[in-house]
Amino acid sequence: MHILRQIYRIALRECGIIIKNPIYWFCMVLFPIFIIWFFTSMMQAGVPTDMPVGVVDLDNTTTTRAMIRRLDAFQTTKVAATYDNVNQARKAIQENKIYAFLYIPRGTTTGLATASQPKISFYYSNVTLVAGSMLYRDLKTVAALGSAAVGQQKLAAVGKTGNEIRTFLQPIALDLHMIGNPWANYNVYLTTAMVPGLLMLFVFLMTPYSIGTELKFKRSREWMAMADNRTWVALLGKLLPQLMLFLTIFYAFEFYIYYVLEFPHPGGIFPILLLGLLAVTSAQGFGIFAFGLMPSLRMSMSVCSLWAMISFSTSGATYPAFAMSPFLEGVAQLFPLRHYYMIYQIGIFNGFPLADAWFNIAALVCFSLLPLFTLWNIKRSMLLYVYIP
Amino acid sequence: MEKHSLLQKIVNGLKDMCYIWAKEMRSTVTDEGVLIFFILVPIAYPLLYSWIYNNEVVRDVPVAIVDQSHSQTSRRFIRAFDASPETKTAYFCDNIDEARDLVAKQVVRGVLYFPSDFSHKLNRGEQAHIGVYCDMSLMLTYKAIYQTAQSVATDINAGIQIARSTNYTDRDEELTTQPLDVEEVPLFNTTGGYGNAIIPGVLILILQQTLLLGIGLAAGTARENNRYRELIPISKHYVGVFRIVFGKALCYFMVFALMAAYLTRCVPHFFRFTTMAGGPELVALLTPFLLAVIFFGMALSALVRYRENVMLLVVFTSLPLLFMTGISWPQTNMPAIWQYVASVFPSTFGVRGFLRLSSMGGNLHDIRPELIALWIQAALYFFATCAVYRFQINHTRQQAFDRLDMLKRKAVEAKSNRNIKE
Repeated sequence: MHILRQIYRIALRECGIIIKNPIYWFCMVLFPIFIIWFFTSMMQAGVPTDMPVGVVDLDNTTTTRAMIRRLDAFQTTKVAATYDNVNQARKAIQENKIYAFLYIPRGTTTGLATASQPKISFYYSNVTLVAGSMLYRDLKTVAALGSAAVGQQKLAAVGKTGNEIRTFLQPIALDLHMIGNPWANYNVYLTTAMVPGLLMLFVFLMTPYSIGTELKFKRSREWMAMADNRTWVALLGKLLPQLMLFLTIFYAFEFYIYYVLEFPHPGGIFPILLLGLLAVTSAQGFGIFAFGLMPSLRMSMSVCSLWAMISFSTSGATYPAFAMSPFLEGVAQLFPLRHYYMIYQIGIFNGFPLADAWFNIAALVCFSLLPLFTLWNIKRSMLLYVYIP
Repeated sequence: MEKHSLLQKIVNGLKDMCYIWAKEMRSTVTDEGVLIFFILVPIAYPLLYSWIYNNEVVRDVPVAIVDQSHSQTSRRFIRAFDASPETKTAYFCDNIDEARDLVAKQVVRGVLYFPSDFSHKLNRGEQAHIGVYCDMSLMLTYKAIYQTAQSVATDINAGIQIARSTNYTDRDEELTTQPLDVEEVPLFNTTGGYGNAIIPGVLILILQQTLLLGIGLAAGTARENNRYRELIPISKHYVGVFRIVFGKALCYFMVFALMAAYLTRCVPHFFRFTTMAGGPELVALLTPFLLAVIFFGMALSALVRYRENVMLLVVFTSLPLLFMTGISWPQTNMPAIWQYVASVFPSTFGVRGFLRLSSMGGNLHDIRPELIALWIQAALYFFATCAVYRFQINHTRQQAFDRLDMLKRKAVEAKSNRNIKE
């Protein structure tokens, strides 16, 4: 009971600090809201549409123009300009005007009519990977349709039915099932990993910051005294208000994406709530641990920020972990965001039972418990150290 | 005799500038925090990122096969699918539920499903279907599975078409399957590599963020070490705006000219990333970029009260800034508001320019809009920095005079008190 009262008093004191220091407001409320708004509005369209593509049409017949119109009609592609030759079009890519261009040489239509297999070319740039791969897909379809149109006319001429023609042109068809994200929506794909990573970055930074500033502003002894020099009581009281605040933001974010923007979440509410809690506690745990290892405000914050930034890559949310070097695949397990991402995609996005993510859940629990190893050092530093700028 | 000639003023200014430069240089090495962000992070971080993305492409994505057809065609499909570089058939399952479990356990990334009537339909001359199930939590694996399945299907389809038509020559067969030949030419980043796409942006962004962090930390330290929490110390060397701004900027520029050379020339070379940019072009792009970042950082650094706050303000912006360059989500599809916000930051134009020079082999003419934007930014932020420093100097002076007045007043008071007592 006494301890509870101590925790309560330290928590009240922490609330006072949070309210008074504007940096807390910025990093715990304003910046996170900005981040959530930024990512969800940046990729609001979900799939990039109408990306500019050029055309070099030296043939310029009804057939080639029909092909260009067909290309233009695709959702992803917009035929933005025509060029006189390949060099000009290539230059346009280098000048950032278009992402790709279609080259139709002279004699294409005649070649089709005389069955001499004319060749058209599609040049695309993979420098913007998303644009490159999406436009490539459109090209593939247009090319297939172009070939098919010829075959279709021939077969129709000998009296085949529509069904027969379709079967002849494509004896084996693929039924593609894009499970969970049938639109290949980039907002669903990226926001769900990037925004939590940034929210966790704020937790990563604010935790050592709030502990370290006790030293810096010479309040550490007073703080420890309020807990009778019991470090865990002091930390619990201090971090409880922060946990509440971060959790509110995290849950607000999850509510916004899953229930307002309606991102797929077949896993349901329980994994969402559990993951939010684990994300914040594991990041706090890591922050305390880092400060305990290096009880210097600057060093622990540097380490936390570097760790958090690397975790966007090691999480394997964009470039898969199994494609990295095996050593890095192992190292990736040391980043809470990696486990966050795994639990998210197993439990929420795909709706598999959480038991399949037991390892990752256990890992996040371990991260939350990490401070136990460095409590003694935090106590030592709070009572003995003085802040060196 | 005091000399007030213009020449003397300039000489004094240059001397002070050099003094400030030397002092700033010293603190780069002696201040642990600045050392980390000016030297260690720019050296080590790019190596780490490059290492992560150095495999470039995804190979051998594991896929589970549910073959209920057990026919010659389905087995041929599976063999070809396994043989292609991007995918491998990792498991054979009896039914789709079993395969789903494997996806849940993360051992496979997708499922190929051949229904039991697959070969019946083919042989009856109907369209046969193969189910391709992709785990959409990773776009790269989805792409690998789908594209491989598609190309294998196209290949097998061509064989079936040839068998079904009455051709006499090989040329006939070619024409049956592909009356119109299409050549796909990936023009830049030809492997479609992830590292080649993302690393150039990361490198330039690391330059900007470490510079901002370092400048902010240095400013924070200067303030904290100052007795009155002022950015500019009271010293005979710190009397003019230009000597302070130029002295500091020169130091940052020298350190980061080296770092920029290392990041744009050495790091891509170590990891064999595409680099098509020549030295002179890089100098032409990176000079305005570094100047813009330095003055941007110096103008903002006046806001820094405590050194650690810089990290809270700068670190999280890295990811939004990377997105604003259009490296991930295409620039043409960015909402207008973010296009405008993006134009405030040097990294936006720096990354775009660098990508086009280095990854696309463009020349300076191709990146003219970016160069102009960077020079405008450099000029604007330079004047902003001067204004900020002018304000700071006046502020410092005002404070000093106030303190002096207060001391004088106190002295007078003390004197009068003593007089009264006597």
